[in-house]
Amino acid sequence: MTRAPSIMAKTVSTPLILIAILAAIAIAVDAFGSGPLARTVIEMLIRVVLVVGIWIFVGNSGIISFGHVGFMCLGAYAAAWLTIPPMLKQISLRGLPEFLLENQFPFWPSALAASLLPAVFALILGPVLMRLAGIAASIATFAMLAVINTVYSNWSTVTGGTSSVIGIPTVTDVWIALGMASGAIVIAWLYAISRSGLALRAARDEAIAAQASGVNIERERLIAFVLSAFVCGAAGVLYAHFLGIITPDAFFLTATFVALSMLVVGGINSLSGAVIGVVFISVIIQLLRWMERGVQVGETTVAIPSGAQEIAIGLVMIVILIFRPAGLLGNREIVWTSRREPRVARTQPAE
Amino acid sequence: MTLLAVEGLSVRYGQLTALRDASLMLDEGETLFVTGPNGAGKSTLMKAIAGVVRPAAGCIRLGGRDITGEAPETIARLGFSMVPEGRQVFGELTVDENLRLGAGMRGDRAGAARDLESVFESFPMLKERRDGAAGLLSGGQQQMLVIARALMTRPRLVAIDEPSLGLAPLVIDQVYELLLRLRAERRLTLLVVEQSSTRATMTGGRMMLLRSGRVVLEGDARELNASGAVERAYFGYSDAEEPA
Repeated sequence: MTRAPSIMAKTVSTPLILIAILAAIAIAVDAFGSGPLARTVIEMLIRVVLVVGIWIFVGNSGIISFGHVGFMCLGAYAAAWLTIPPMLKQISLRGLPEFLLENQFPFWPSALAASLLPAVFALILGPVLMRLAGIAASIATFAMLAVINTVYSNWSTVTGGTSSVIGIPTVTDVWIALGMASGAIVIAWLYAISRSGLALRAARDEAIAAQASGVNIERERLIAFVLSAFVCGAAGVLYAHFLGIITPDAFFLTATFVALSMLVVGGINSLSGAVIGVVFISVIIQLLRWMERGVQVGETTVAIPSGAQEIAIGLVMIVILIFRPAGLLGNREIVWTSRREPRVARTQPAE
Repeated sequence: MTLLAVEGLSVRYGQLTALRDASLMLDEGETLFVTGPNGAGKSTLMKAIAGVVRPAAGCIRLGGRDITGEAPETIARLGFSMVPEGRQVFGELTVDENLRLGAGMRGDRAGAARDLESVFESFPMLKERRDGAAGLLSGGQQQMLVIARALMTRPRLVAIDEPSLGLAPLVIDQVYELLLRLRAERRLTLLVVEQSSTRATMTGGRMMLLRSGRVVLEGDARELNASGAVERAYFGYSDAEEPA
């Protein structure tokens, strides 16, 4: 009697296509690319995990969060605590509890535990934050980021303070990053089609009507917040195991700016937008890096001043916001379909 | 049996008192129209019952249970289904999703699927457009959709705020035809807010007139209208200063 819910039938191809795009990039670079390019691709995949994680909350609830990079920070440091060899930890992180100081855990169990820490943190903090709406909620998430950054910059015996934490095993390769990015996309998609995701998007469109339909907005927001903290935590884990070195400032304003601009450029309301935004901005960043290093034009080398990257990203964002205010993808998802039918309306029809 | 009982309800927005000491009773299966000019407190009354705004004083009972100050979603689950003013469809979701959202919160999937079929029977137009974005429906269709969505919660009472707002007269007729048919088929209890008392007279039922936050008149819609009392109350003439 019940048929498959419409949205599921319509978008089951979306996560598959997005994963296929990322896999194609990874395979191409692995086959033909150089070492530095491979690192760029890993960075891009880590950002996919982060931005998709942010999207789970922001895309469905409509509340811009400036704090999610803080969850990445929690995940990265937790991964460091769990996987740095005990000898090193006993020197640099003496304040850690005994069982952390004396043990070293393998990557996957540690990755899971380290991602759960920000989720638990979000679960504790969420009930307060989720009561706020609109810009007040956004400011509160920013305050959360500032608090995390301040604590991690000063709690020297546990986090090493502002100096780097070193000795994290560098196990993140292209395939692990691709796997985690795929996992993040699948989690985000499953949430989006879930009852909670549906209720949250309804509340984003029309809050009162959603409540009148029996939606507990705070509860649905909290579910999305915790889940997105978990995924952002996983991004932190990947990042820590990619560089092997972390500092609190790697998870602060610059990272937040880049992640949010990726989300905005791609289109904040669709999962495809989140992923495509990351790919698009990553390509631009890579081009700018090459240009900062210098491009041979005839006899002379032309280089743009370093630091031009962020200015350029800012310009790209302005241009996109002027010409495509809803982002590259608008509000649409990429779907495998022959007929073109916009699932999503941008404009209300005339009466 | 009394389904909804409101006693001495007052609502303030800051300094402004939007509703003063309003009381009403609604029996099961009954239809009550709440009318009155702009700013009379009609929507405020509705929102206060639905739990969207907090009353400053008074008591609201639904089926004998005190729901004063409960959260809107709790009140919705207890069977008070509000169709808010201005047709709040979830524009970026499909028609199907809009409807499933109404039922989804109930947590019984088989029952929800049955209700969906029965709603599609009452609204064949929605079935045709089920996979389209709700925001692309016409104004009248959107109004049908929000009514259908309200029905999906299996309400004991459907409260509709200005169903005719911004619709062409012909479309308003369609909406009311549908409401009357639903009332007959499903023996719905209806609470309808409308600015014009004409609809109340045409549809029949009890009517209540609010002005400046007070209940000024209450009774059978047709009788009140015939006696001219509505006109007097609506425009605020006392009997003495009635114009010639």
